[in-house]
Amino acid sequence: MTTGFGPGFGPGFGLGLRTQHYNDFIAEPQPVDWLEVISDNYMVDGGKPLAMLDQIRANYPMVMHGVSMSIGSINGLDKEYLRKLKILEQRVEPMWVSDHLCWSGVHGRNLHDLLPLPYTQEALQVVTRNVEQAQEVLQRPLALENVSSYVEYEMSEMTEWEFLAEVVQATGCQLLLDINNIYVSAFNHDFSPTSFIEGVPLDSVAQFHLAGHLNNGDHLIDTHDHPVCDDVWDLYRQALLHFGYVPTMIERDDNIPSLPELIDELNVARGIADDVLNTKIAL
Amino acid sequence: MPVTYMKLAELQNDFQRALFDTECKGADWISESARGLSARKRLDIYYNAYRLRLVDVLLDTFEHTAIYLGDDWFNQIAMEYVQSHPSTYKNIGLYGKDFPGFLAKQLPLDKEVSELALMDWKLRRAFDGADSCVMTLEDLQLLAGNEGFRLHTVPTLTTCTQHFNSLEIWNAINQDQTPPVVEQLPESIDILIWRKGHSPHFRSLAKIESAAIACVCAGNTLGDTRGATLESIGTVLEKDFPDVDVATEFGVMLHRWLDDEILSATSDM
Repeated sequence: MTTGFGPGFGPGFGLGLRTQHYNDFIAEPQPVDWLEVISDNYMVDGGKPLAMLDQIRANYPMVMHGVSMSIGSINGLDKEYLRKLKILEQRVEPMWVSDHLCWSGVHGRNLHDLLPLPYTQEALQVVTRNVEQAQEVLQRPLALENVSSYVEYEMSEMTEWEFLAEVVQATGCQLLLDINNIYVSAFNHDFSPTSFIEGVPLDSVAQFHLAGHLNNGDHLIDTHDHPVCDDVWDLYRQALLHFGYVPTMIERDDNIPSLPELIDELNVARGIADDVLNTKIAL
Repeated sequence: MPVTYMKLAELQNDFQRALFDTECKGADWISESARGLSARKRLDIYYNAYRLRLVDVLLDTFEHTAIYLGDDWFNQIAMEYVQSHPSTYKNIGLYGKDFPGFLAKQLPLDKEVSELALMDWKLRRAFDGADSCVMTLEDLQLLAGNEGFRLHTVPTLTTCTQHFNSLEIWNAINQDQTPPVVEQLPESIDILIWRKGHSPHFRSLAKIESAAIACVCAGNTLGDTRGATLESIGTVLEKDFPDVDVATEFGVMLHRWLDDEILSATSDM
């Protein structure tokens, strides 16, 4: 399970672990360098989810990716959630822990969505406070993912990438750049995805996500139920040229294909990275 | 107040309120500059996603109930539940906690529906409930001389009471068969639900076994009750089932409980 890059190119290429593929990963070694688990799915008391997690973790490095921290909530973070996340982090010993730059509800309500923040100094203070709290509990930097968005706010004072750069500067957190999300938001809000990539601090990116989306003509929806499209592969090339090697994974959450099919798609990412980075080295 | 001076708290309150509203009305704090998409259409994406996501969770959690009701009826009731029950859970899987009770109120003439839903719910909760060491025959034999000890059930164990042939209906649906016509039972039955290995299990209970399990859960001791505030299990069963050879019956039950893995290795004196 190695990449074509040699030891200088880090952890390699991963997939999101999904229940449909538990048996594949248990039955025999798969050509996947690491797995990303949705933290929330394993913040349970026991049973099959944790048993499968432990069994598969024994053979694969893992990263943890959460969907419910609500790092941009004005109310601050849920301490019980953080406590359970820390317990899981100690169990999994992941390479890194990520969640989304978003908010998911206030005043004890949960919208179960990744709602975008306004990019204001006030929101920056809230996010900074919350990231620091999470990092204090986790005792490690958090990686924040850019979300796909369908609204922008009149009150925003800066771009999303400027906001991300400010959060990194203020907290020392890392970034999980979702290349598909950049593409979706750029389309929906008519900004340049290249500006986004070039606006993010160079050394802050811990991981790339690649995924598919749904094209509704006048807007795109981040559905994770399609293969990665050509435009997103092109943006991935740009990102590799800009950032160099970054651990990359395919994120598929619906209409999940067989593991061999996903591995084929992951191999496309390997091939592109091999091509771009070897060309870059040669230059 | 001009939107440029809007505070984050106001925005998050307004956004959340907009998603909980009975219809999506749009908002003046959303920028409409790109692609000519209206604020209403942009907000609509989140408004619909919130509802679809929660209805999907209910469909997944209450699979047998949904098949019994059919897609249209289930979706209609699920949407009503979503509209009237904002989620308070970090774990989206817990969102259906009040759905069986909601069904009982919404469908007062079809009580079997809420019984099916409660069974779906309890089986799902058993799936990822807490682990524990299961009591073996050897564990039990080691404690056999100490009549005052208490048995403990595994943490996933629970029961529910059914007044209709809901268990038969659930089983038929589970086997892709046409469910039987609903019938009220002459006498209610208790269903035992727990996890064995990785799989949720269930079975109906005879009255005496139901009473015995209730005693175990309540902390009644197995034998000698000196110093205990509760009567022993044997004493309770002998009072409630005077025509039964309780000692023999309880021995049979204990063996079955060990086979079913419903007893935890945790015990105390």
